[in-house]
Amino acid sequence: MSIRNYIVGAMATAMSVTTALPALAQTEITWWHAMGGQLGETVNEIAEKFNASQSDYKITPVFKGTYEETMTAGIAAFRGGEQPNVIQVFDAGAATLIGAKGAVIPAQTLMKDNGVPFDINDYISGVRYFYADTDGTMIGMPFNSSTPIMYYNEDALKKAGVTPPKTWEEFQSVTAPKLKAAGYVPLSQSHLPWIFTENFYSRHNLEFATMDNGYESGTPVMLLNQDPIKGHFAAVKEWLDNDLFAWYGTGWTDNQKPFNEGQVAMWLGSSGSFGGVKSAAKFPFNATYLPYWESLTKDPTQTFIGGAALFAMAGHSEDENKAVAEFFRFLTSPEVQYFWHKETGYVPITTAAYDLAKKDGYYKETPQAEVGIKQLSLPGGDWTKGYRLGFYVQIRDVMNREYGKIFAGEKTVDEAFETIEIESNKLLERFARSMGN
Amino acid sequence: MNKSQFRSPLYPYLLLLPQLSIVVIFFYWPAAEAIRSSFYLEDPFGFSSTFVGFDNFEDMVSRSDYVASARFTIIFSVLVTFFSLAAALLLAVTADRVIKGASTYKTLLMWVYAIAPPVAGLIGIMLFDNLVGPIAEFFRSFGWDFKLGVNRFDTAFAMITVSIWKQIPVNFIFFLSGLQGIPKSVQEAAAIDCASSTRRFWTITFPLLAPTGFFLLIINITYSLFDTFGVIDVVLKGEPGNNPVTLVYKVFLDGFRGGDLGGSSAQSVILMVLVLILTVFQFRLIERRVHYN
Amino acid sequence: MLVPVLMAFLTSSHDSATVHSGGLQMTLGDDLAKNYYNAMLVPGGFTKSVDGMRMLMNSFILGIGFAVGKIIISMLAAYAIVYFRFRFATFAFWLIFTTLLLPLEVRILPSYEIVQGLGLLNTYTGLIVPLIASATGTFFFRQFYKSVPNELIEAARIDGAGPVKFFIDILVPLSKTMIAAIFIIMFVFGWNQYLWPTIMTTDERFFTMVRGISQIMQVFIGSQIPEYGEAMALAIIAMLPPVAIVVFFQRWFVKGLVESDK
Repeated sequence: MSIRNYIVGAMATAMSVTTALPALAQTEITWWHAMGGQLGETVNEIAEKFNASQSDYKITPVFKGTYEETMTAGIAAFRGGEQPNVIQVFDAGAATLIGAKGAVIPAQTLMKDNGVPFDINDYISGVRYFYADTDGTMIGMPFNSSTPIMYYNEDALKKAGVTPPKTWEEFQSVTAPKLKAAGYVPLSQSHLPWIFTENFYSRHNLEFATMDNGYESGTPVMLLNQDPIKGHFAAVKEWLDNDLFAWYGTGWTDNQKPFNEGQVAMWLGSSGSFGGVKSAAKFPFNATYLPYWESLTKDPTQTFIGGAALFAMAGHSEDENKAVAEFFRFLTSPEVQYFWHKETGYVPITTAAYDLAKKDGYYKETPQAEVGIKQLSLPGGDWTKGYRLGFYVQIRDVMNREYGKIFAGEKTVDEAFETIEIESNKLLERFARSMGN
Repeated sequence: MNKSQFRSPLYPYLLLLPQLSIVVIFFYWPAAEAIRSSFYLEDPFGFSSTFVGFDNFEDMVSRSDYVASARFTIIFSVLVTFFSLAAALLLAVTADRVIKGASTYKTLLMWVYAIAPPVAGLIGIMLFDNLVGPIAEFFRSFGWDFKLGVNRFDTAFAMITVSIWKQIPVNFIFFLSGLQGIPKSVQEAAAIDCASSTRRFWTITFPLLAPTGFFLLIINITYSLFDTFGVIDVVLKGEPGNNPVTLVYKVFLDGFRGGDLGGSSAQSVILMVLVLILTVFQFRLIERRVHYN
Repeated sequence: MLVPVLMAFLTSSHDSATVHSGGLQMTLGDDLAKNYYNAMLVPGGFTKSVDGMRMLMNSFILGIGFAVGKIIISMLAAYAIVYFRFRFATFAFWLIFTTLLLPLEVRILPSYEIVQGLGLLNTYTGLIVPLIASATGTFFFRQFYKSVPNELIEAARIDGAGPVKFFIDILVPLSKTMIAAIFIIMFVFGWNQYLWPTIMTTDERFFTMVRGISQIMQVFIGSQIPEYGEAMALAIIAMLPPVAIVVFFQRWFVKGLVESDK
């Protein structure tokens, strides 16, 4: 195997030498991503702009299927020595990539080593450390980042005579009953683990897992079987039973659609869902921060991001790494970030880009697009920078399954959270072992 | 039962060579790799790898949903296999009798098979959509509050229906080709001997169809076990939640989606052994009753 | 059975917002020409080297290559297993047969490494050959050969025909219906492959129809409305070649062929 790899590698080197010889020594790099449809076209546009902006480097984006398919393709390619220079990996899969020591070059290191200025404080605070390591070195470059916010149907709220609730207390005692009386389903949400679990923790500045929410190496323990979150789910179950909340399954759009159609008055979705809501909703809508429990905190904090980041994969020549660094420089420039933000609804990741959008008057016409960034820029706390947990895809599956059981009345909140605690900690242990810890 | 055969020192090996070499390189080599990794705990990139014996097997089987999903797999496979075979046989027999317009009929049926899987799944979930799906509406008019993705039974119902729908044309084609292979003289003789067409079918046609039927039985069991995960994935929209999943879909969830190579390999080894036993069993028990000539 | 296909066609004539909120459509919309034009002739992707026609061609190569390869290989293997007496016959059969029991998804990582090691990434060979490593065809021909009357081979022997002559002159013509059936099934199977091509090709020139469809459909967090109309249009077009294959092989299904050989 190794000999074969060596021969193939040697052949590849020989070939790249011959192809690199001509006068026009352009370094070519590849970028695997999971952005389909319109997003994919925006990705292509960014790549074209980068290639047009200089003549030394050429980046080629390749669509590789879903997040999972992209990641698996990346893993397979890495094992075969054919990995792309840049790969897009989603939030829940990041631990696998970062945990495998030697698979990626930290974005920060890569940029610094290649003379591209980098200051982590340029990034919006909620985005800054999500893909960083314990020391705060940025490993993955946040790419498509969004955060959960609350969209509301302005007509519905007017009809019911209410304003968007700031707290869950307000929601359950005032907003929801009135909306229900006005003939609406008051609330739905699209991702129980992301919105009602992870961001429940960050909004209330609660410790999510030991070992600094999992950022420190070792075997963390999830702090899920706890009163605050259990109280929240007990309340949600009650809302569900009293028709103050509706749950349409684990599919994202299944929960978004009734809002788009005007049946549901308020919907918790992603700040990045803005474009979809805009093109589908036939009523005036707006958005605001994720509500919080006043009984848990008087000073609600910022939320986590979701989405995916770009990682520079190890095992490439210095020239190619330099090209990736230059691409990251281009990608993080205010103009490109603003372009991406405007085209897709994902948040701009730097304050400079945010300022540019403000200066351009973008939020005057579309105030909804600013809610996510403002929420990510709220004061942070000890536990709001993010989490780094292994086999997290499976842990989310466990959550989804058990929450489903709560909603179906098959399990009590206590029973469900006990199962979540046991199974997720077992998964974390397995993950630590698989990483050789 | 005994077949007249050639004897040759070279031919059989020469004939088998292409298939065997492909099978060895592209099946046994990777499969051996998968079996090996079921005994290891490793990160997907292959930096660290520890031999853990049977830990993976133990970890996987001891999870709270494993037994439930094994149970569902059995129900799912039995239903999908039975209904897709039965419906296809019925259609094929009809098509075999109908002479006029038969070709249009056959061609139209094939359209269903030709639908690309992502679209077939999409059509499926649009039909079953809670909000605007005609099937869901139809059920609702009977007082069945159909909720795909929320109610376990309803989700299973949709999965099974779409899987059957996708598989009928395959079975239809094979049954039809089997029926066409039955010599006309035999059928004519049968028509004279026995007036009832139902009886004629069970006593003459069905036994003659048995070799095809046996082939389809095995193929359909493997289809329902292994190849339906695309349909399941679309129906679940990639998020299983509290819905039933088959064992192969679990392998996909843990390995492909979750990056747990050892765990998913262990699951597939278990599955492979079970299916192998089942298949050997079928060859021993059922094939004995199949008369080939 | 067919209603969903008709609905897919009607849906392909609508704009995406209508489909998004209204689901499958029962009437003919206004966007028929536009959707089909976009789907087939507007080059997409980064390199602008891939449009519907290119994807159609790739799917075609995959479908034909897979079906032809599989039929030849499995006819030969099944012939050996059924018609020859040799030592490892049962063993060879099980060796081939076991391949039904482990789907590609499970062995995809090692498969990739092997294809990569052989230098077959981004080639049609690498796309097709690993998919052939499954026993469906062999098993099917085995079933058929076993039901071929013994008198045929006896008669052939009396005429002094050797194994090659028997195979070509008698068995192949006799298998026509079977070949047609398996060709149709395998062509569509190859035509509809998704995961393997996605994992092992990085060159947009190798994109297939199915991959094009899922690229259009893939949308995260409801950030946009997928181009349903265009996807449905691609899907309808993607159905045409398999149907053409069925029509082509239709005459092989005509009753009476078997009798004349008997």
